[in-house]
Amino acid sequence: MGGYFTDLLTGTKSLIDGMWITLKEFPRKPVTLNYPHESVKMYKRFRGHIELIKNEEGTSNCIVCGMCERACPSSCISLAGKKPEGSKKKVLTSYILDFTTCSLCGSCVESCNFDALQFSNEYNLASTRREDFVFDLLKRLEAQE
Amino acid sequence: MSLTLLNAAVAVFIAICFVGLNAAYLVWCERKGAGFYQRRPGPMENGPWGLLQPPIDGVKLMTKQLLIPGGVDKAIFMVAPVLAMFPALISFVTIPFSKNIVAHPINVGVLMIFAFAALGGMSLLVAGWGSRNKYAMISSVRAVSQTVAYEIPMLITTITIVLVSGSLNLSEIAASQLGGFWKWNIWGFQEAVGYNILMPISFLIIFVCAVAETNRAPFDLGEAESELVAGFHTEYSSMGFGLFFMGEYANIVIGACLVTILFLGGWSSPVPLGFFPFTDHVGWFLLKIYMIIFVFIWIRWTFPRTTIYGLLNLSWKYLIPISLFNLLLTAALLKVF
Amino acid sequence: MDVSQTIYQTPSILSADGLVGLVFLVMVAVTILGAYVASTAERVVRAVSGLVICFVGVAGIYYFLNSPFMSMMQILIYVGAVCVTISFAIMLAAPEEKKKTTPANILSGPLGFIVAALIFGCMTGLALKTEWQSYPKSGSGSVRDIGISLLTTNSMVFELISIILLIAIIGAVVIARDGRSS
Repeated sequence: MGGYFTDLLTGTKSLIDGMWITLKEFPRKPVTLNYPHESVKMYKRFRGHIELIKNEEGTSNCIVCGMCERACPSSCISLAGKKPEGSKKKVLTSYILDFTTCSLCGSCVESCNFDALQFSNEYNLASTRREDFVFDLLKRLEAQE
Repeated sequence: MSLTLLNAAVAVFIAICFVGLNAAYLVWCERKGAGFYQRRPGPMENGPWGLLQPPIDGVKLMTKQLLIPGGVDKAIFMVAPVLAMFPALISFVTIPFSKNIVAHPINVGVLMIFAFAALGGMSLLVAGWGSRNKYAMISSVRAVSQTVAYEIPMLITTITIVLVSGSLNLSEIAASQLGGFWKWNIWGFQEAVGYNILMPISFLIIFVCAVAETNRAPFDLGEAESELVAGFHTEYSSMGFGLFFMGEYANIVIGACLVTILFLGGWSSPVPLGFFPFTDHVGWFLLKIYMIIFVFIWIRWTFPRTTIYGLLNLSWKYLIPISLFNLLLTAALLKVF
Repeated sequence: MDVSQTIYQTPSILSADGLVGLVFLVMVAVTILGAYVASTAERVVRAVSGLVICFVGVAGIYYFLNSPFMSMMQILIYVGAVCVTISFAIMLAAPEEKKKTTPANILSGPLGFIVAALIFGCMTGLALKTEWQSYPKSGSGSVRDIGISLLTTNSMVFELISIILLIAIIGAVVIARDGRSS
């Protein structure tokens, strides 16, 4: 009979403790977010896919040197530019990122000497179509406010 | 009221509606409750606060294919879910919701509920056996050994109450506790129960048994999904599964009704005053059963599942001896006072 | 009240009497069906299920005969305890390979039939010959009356059943005493 009643008492007490803990949690605010409608704001240093940085004039700092294109190990960046009349610098005309092969290594951002590339905070990327992952970063830049 | 085909049909229809609605919305309550206990909002998408979730789930279940796996014992496989639902439905016949709201106040109502609960146990057994699936089989053996083990203390404790109120009729048992919350059988210090101060323990015993009888967590060894896939309804799809599910929730309501009638005074109001919110009313009965169901949900989302040995030990080593002792004590005290 | 008249009148199916009669017939049918399934099924589990159906039918007949207590006890004990125990026994027993049925003796069929017919004939004869006496109704069949008659008039039966149960319990303890180690 040793421990019969102590078992009973300690068992009952621990059950009551457990129920008290969950009861205290019951009326408190949910800690989850209603995902498709709300989502967590991603922290600043998150390494999403790359994007172009907007400068004061509202355009890109890119001079179309092509360093990023060369640095990319999986060659997912393809960019083009042209020299407008009467200007020394090249201007970016298209910047395509094929995200399906990107491994987010960040070599492109490191290789850029003109402060034109950065990681975005984008993480809600899901689609059933391959084409949805070919990003036109120049368009994205224009869409930014 | 005379017994005609029409009356009987209407009564059956109302009973099925009550049970069906209860089953559907108890699932909703369960999911919401689970959400709140885990600090999430629960179902939110269908309708306000997810209130349309149950009908949508029902439609989904009904439109699914009723799959009968090869090699099952077809007759038994098909009958089992019906057998699970039917006793739960028929037990509602004798439950008195208030002084006047009772379908058929049979004289041995307590026995009837236990008798049909036994039939329900049988349905789990044949479901597991007929499925031709070893997990279903193990689960049904577990579920039935558990039902048998917990039926004993539940019956003994019920006999205690029958001794106290001198009737097997649920209406009379409830009626004997009218007149304020201090007259309910849960309180030991009153003449009706022979000043047996162990009555609250009796209440706890029957409460634990009710949780175990309905195969709910932490006693849901029968559907231990981490080890037995889904238990005895592993092979069931569509409405076969739906019937098991509804039967389970109907059983929960019956368990709550039984506890309410035996120990919490049925439809008796806590304060015996004459005007409306305080009179003995069906509202009090519903309030009590839903509070008990709330505690069921609370328990389910608090405790992890026990082991089969822990479960059987609890019944055979603690609940049965204590309830037997309490029965003898009550009998002796009733003789003395 | 004239008994013979009530027997020969066929009440309408929608009246209370007709419904009750219908329920009685259904119960009888259920009992016979269950008995048939129980005795002819090849699988043991089906036989047990048949037994359950049969017991439920019998319980229905008890209920029809205005004895709800007996009816509920029938279900509680026979379905809830006996049938579940039988199922447990089946599950705990070692799986039995299908027995090779030896070709039955050519005489066993007719002999069995003759014995069954003899028993049936004797029972029917006895039942017809006996001058049945209506046993005085003891009480209203309520639980209280059953209890009183069990402890007064029929206390011998009660005691005998208690002894049988006691022997069963002692036997179970003796068998289980060695525990699992053996």
